[in-house]
Parts: sequence; C-alpha cells; structure tokens
Amino acid sequence: MKHSLTIALKSQSIAVERFLRVVRHRGFDLTHFQLNMDDGHYNVAMTVDSDKPIHLLTSQLNKLVDVKEITLQNLQQQAV
Amino acid sequence: MTGAELTIDLLAKHGVKEVFGYPGGAIMPIYDALYGAPVKHYLTRHEQGAGFAAVGYARSTGKLGVCLATSGPGATNLITALADAMMDSVPLLAITGQVPTAAIGSDAFQEVDVLGMSLSCTKHSYMVERPGDLAEILQEAMHLAQSGRPGPVLVDIPKDIQMAQVPFKPWLAADEYLPQLDLNQVAIANQLLSEAKQPVAYVGGGVQAADAQNELMQFLNKTQMPAVSTLKALGSVLPDYEHYLGMLGMHGTQAANIAVQECDVLVCIGARFDDRVTGNLAKFAAKAKVIHLDIDAAEVGKRKPAKASLVADLKTSLPALECFVTPKAWCDTNKQLSVKHAWRYDYPGEKVFAPYLLNQLSLRMPKTGVVCCDVGQHQMWVAQHMKFSHPSNHLSSGGAGTMGFGLPAAIGAQVARPDDFVITVSGDGSIMMNIQELATIRRNNLPVKILILDNQRLGMVRQWQELFFEGRYSETNLSDNPDFVQLAAVFGIPGQTITHANQVDDAITALVNNKGPYIVHACIDDKENVWPLVPPGAANDEMITEKAQ
Repeated sequence: MKHSLTIALKSQSIAVERFLRVVRHRGFDLTHFQLNMDDGHYNVAMTVDSDKPIHLLTSQLNKLVDVKEITLQNLQQQAV
Repeated sequence: MTGAELTIDLLAKHGVKEVFGYPGGAIMPIYDALYGAPVKHYLTRHEQGAGFAAVGYARSTGKLGVCLATSGPGATNLITALADAMMDSVPLLAITGQVPTAAIGSDAFQEVDVLGMSLSCTKHSYMVERPGDLAEILQEAMHLAQSGRPGPVLVDIPKDIQMAQVPFKPWLAADEYLPQLDLNQVAIANQLLSEAKQPVAYVGGGVQAADAQNELMQFLNKTQMPAVSTLKALGSVLPDYEHYLGMLGMHGTQAANIAVQECDVLVCIGARFDDRVTGNLAKFAAKAKVIHLDIDAAEVGKRKPAKASLVADLKTSLPALECFVTPKAWCDTNKQLSVKHAWRYDYPGEKVFAPYLLNQLSLRMPKTGVVCCDVGQHQMWVAQHMKFSHPSNHLSSGGAGTMGFGLPAAIGAQVARPDDFVITVSGDGSIMMNIQELATIRRNNLPVKILILDNQRLGMVRQWQELFFEGRYSETNLSDNPDFVQLAAVFGIPGQTITHANQVDDAITALVNNKGPYIVHACIDDKENVWPLVPPGAANDEMITEKAQ
C-alpha cells in the first residue's frame, strides 16, 4: 500500500540521509520525493510503498533527533 | 580554550572520570589535551577494544561509556562496538578525530566518511562543522546517549576544530519529549490483569536501562506472577524469587518457554520480542493478550501486537499496574515444570563439564562479581547455569552477538568497578578476536580473570552443522589453537590448563582467590552441545532436548 507523508526536518543534508536510510532499512520503497527549504527547515513530501503497516515506519522516523514533525496524508486510504 | 581542551573539560564536567581509546594523527590535539587532565585515559591495543571497554564500563555501572579514536581506520574499528551498543541500548559516546575541514571530501590520508558510516549504528551522530558548535554538540551528545532509550552517539571532530579557539556555551536541554503514561491504556492493562488466570511477566533489558529493578521486584512480589527473562535482563529478577522460571527463547529453560506458550496475559516489561526470544513468531504466546511496557514507542507492535501499551519510563509505568495476586494453580503448575526440567550436573565421564564448572563458579564467586561473556555455546551456558542479582553483573552481547566482546568489556567493567571480582568467560574462538587486550590488562595491572571453555571448535556453529547441515563441519575446527596459558604468560598473566573434572574445584579456587589477573583454560568435550534448543522455524514449546537426541 502507498502512503504519503510530509516531514519537517532539520536543514542539514545528513538529516535527509539519516531518515532515508531508515525508510529503506525498515522495508519501504520510495516512489515520490520532494524537498523544499522553508523557515530554516527542510520540508519533505514523500510517498512510500510497502506491504508493512505504516506505523512501523513513522514510529522509527519519530525517534530521529533531526525529525521535527511527521504528518500522514491520505488518511482514508491508510485506514483501509 | 581550544576545541580539544573544551572536549576534555566538558567530559570532566559531565562526571566522566575514565575513557578508553587509541591515538592517531587526526585526534592528536585531543590526546594532547588529555595529557595531565583529570580524565584518565586507558590505552587499549585496538580501537574495537576501546569501544567494547567503554560498553563494559557503561553496562556495569549504568553510566556513560566514552571511547576515542582517530579518523579513518581508527573510527571504522569502533563501528562494531557502536552497532553492539545500538542493539543493546548502551549509553556510549564515541569521539573521533577527522581530517581538517578543508581536506574533507578530498580523499585525504585516513579520511573516511565516518558520519555517513555511523547512520545505521548510532542513536545520533554529528560532525562538527564550526568551532562555535562544539560545546553545544558535545553536551547534547552526552545527554542523548543517556536519555530515553539509551544508545551510542558519535561526535566526529575535524582536527582544525580541535585546534581552534572555541567559545564555551552552556547547553540547556530542550524541553524533552518524555512519553507520558496514557491512562486509558493503563486502565486496559489493569482490566486484562484483573481477568488473567495464567499471566507471565516477560522481563527485558529495559529494566536495567530504567534502573527499575526495585519497581519490578515490588510488582512481582505483590503479584507472585511467574517471570521469565531475556538474555540481557538476566539478574533483573532476583534469583531467589519463588516464581522465576529462568531465561526464555532459543536456549531458554523448558519451564520458561512452556509457561509463555500457555499464558493468557503476557506482561512485556522493557523487551522487544527478539527473534531469538520468540522462535516462530506466529506461534509465540499465541493465546496471550500482550501488555507492553517500553519507553520506546517504536517497539510496541513492532513484532507482536499489544492489547495495552504503556509507553513510558518503567519507573513510572510499573507502579501504575495493579497487583492482582496470581492464581495459585498457575503458579503451582509452573513450579512443577521448573522442578521437572531442572538443570542436572551429574555428568558421566572424566572430562570437564562446562555447565557444572559455570554453576560452581557462580556459587563460589562473590555475588557482586561481574561476568562478561563472549558469544557462542559458552555464552548460553553462562546464561543457563550462572545466577545474577543485578543485570549490571552479567554483560553479554545480546542483540548484536559480537564475538570478541568479553575481554575488552571485562576491562571496562574492572576499571569502573575496581573493587569487584570481574571475570570474562570466553570460548576458544571468541577469545582470539580481541586477544591483544591482554596487553591492556597487564599495562594497568587489572585483576581481570579469564575462563576459556575450549572445545577446539567454533562450538555453536559446529552444533548447528551437526543438527541442521548434515554434519558438514565447514571451517569450524580450531584444533590448531595456540596454548592459551603460554599465550597469557607472554603478557605476564599466570594461569593453568585443566582437562579433567577432578581439577574443576581447584581451578575455581585459583580464579576466586588470585589477587591479580589469572587465566583458566578448561578443555571440554568437543561434542558437547547446548540444550535445550528451539530449532529454526519451530515454536518455543517444540524444543529439542539432549534426551530426544
């Protein structure tokens, strides 16, 4: 199932590397990725695909020091 | 003040009295600042030794462990210890030197992208880019390593920043996200507990991380709930607790595994349903409703769904559980299982029987002693046959399963607890992985004891080859091992070799009574296996026993 997320990150390139590593390692394929700088943060919009429940990814991303906020989009689809 | 001086100053201010490391070009300014500083440095003979000594220091005390290495190979040699600390949630700070800022990215001598390498094996990591950032980063790093779920943090400091004049900026911890107990979940948990007929407490490493042994024992003593322990939690449940069933999992006790398989409520206390614990996950505690207590929300529901999740510090969440007395019939059933499947130490033949040796050692060594294991059969025998009264007395590489852990971890533990008895129990495979650290023991006159259980094999791999690979013993024969007693003697460490059962008692006497370092090289049967065993893919109640073999 595909899931869209927006993530506010510390504006350092290592922060992007760090969270993308977690996405890959926890078994989620990246199908869309967009990064913008805003208010001193990176704002990332991304879509991931996996047969695993999305909470297995968001709970890991939430632990990262560089990650300020995660929002899940397409809530209706994700509830299926 | 230079960056190097500030680094040592901040360590001292944080209460760090001892660090472990190995110097090299890119970290020379920090070593210069160490010269004569109030922070004592222990030189190991390999950076991995420094990493594991810092892990041993941290695990035997609950304090922050600190290790230092230079850039490039110095830093890469720390990586295994970082991964080990990550898997076992150990508060560790690694400080590495880096080539000067201007040289980064030029493939300079001893340049490796250490920050990049650290991503998968640290809780967090930094490379200091500006002198003005150093103070804040170091303070935040020490805080992060020890807060919440502990873990390793790496700070990579370019040489020019170590040499630059840097400002000191006190760092105030940001409003930390401390998970607060969800009272609805507490209510669900207490409802489940009130209805439980056959509950089991499944105790994990979180108890030590939260320093919550007292809270755990209060809960157990009031409920009389049967308790099982992970490898890492051994010592958390006091060994004289009447309803303690021992370790669960692949080489756990039959009583522990059967109880978990039969339970109707499983109270998971700071554990993570590791695959070595669960065996076939679909069949693990299949009848149980899970109450999961953990400070790390990501562990809840990661491997097994929970009916109630108490995401908080165990010191807060454990007292929130109501203490319903466990039905006597369930306690009696488990006690009978414990008696029926009790360990036996009557061993036919004249050879040294490792479980007997370890059990005797456990009975005769000081109760405050620290046992540091390596990885393999001996590690499982220690877990099965030795008793511990606190998890800081049993250091074993759990999640990562790192051979070579034991000897340097024992060095760290002995430095941290100079008045306690510290012994590494190793195998003839593992001991060779960081054997160079005998020099560190000698250099510092550390009274570390060493027990090598030598079956001239990579015993656990050999066991699996026997059981699951049709006896094709590929590359597990170590019958060309060196003479370990002679080897230790080269480093000035005395010892003895034993080959017969009737030598065991005297050897333990020598280990316990010797004031300095001492080695016992125990030759054991090369065909001895670790029993019982949950085979791959099986449920935990489908254990293979020696009798069945």
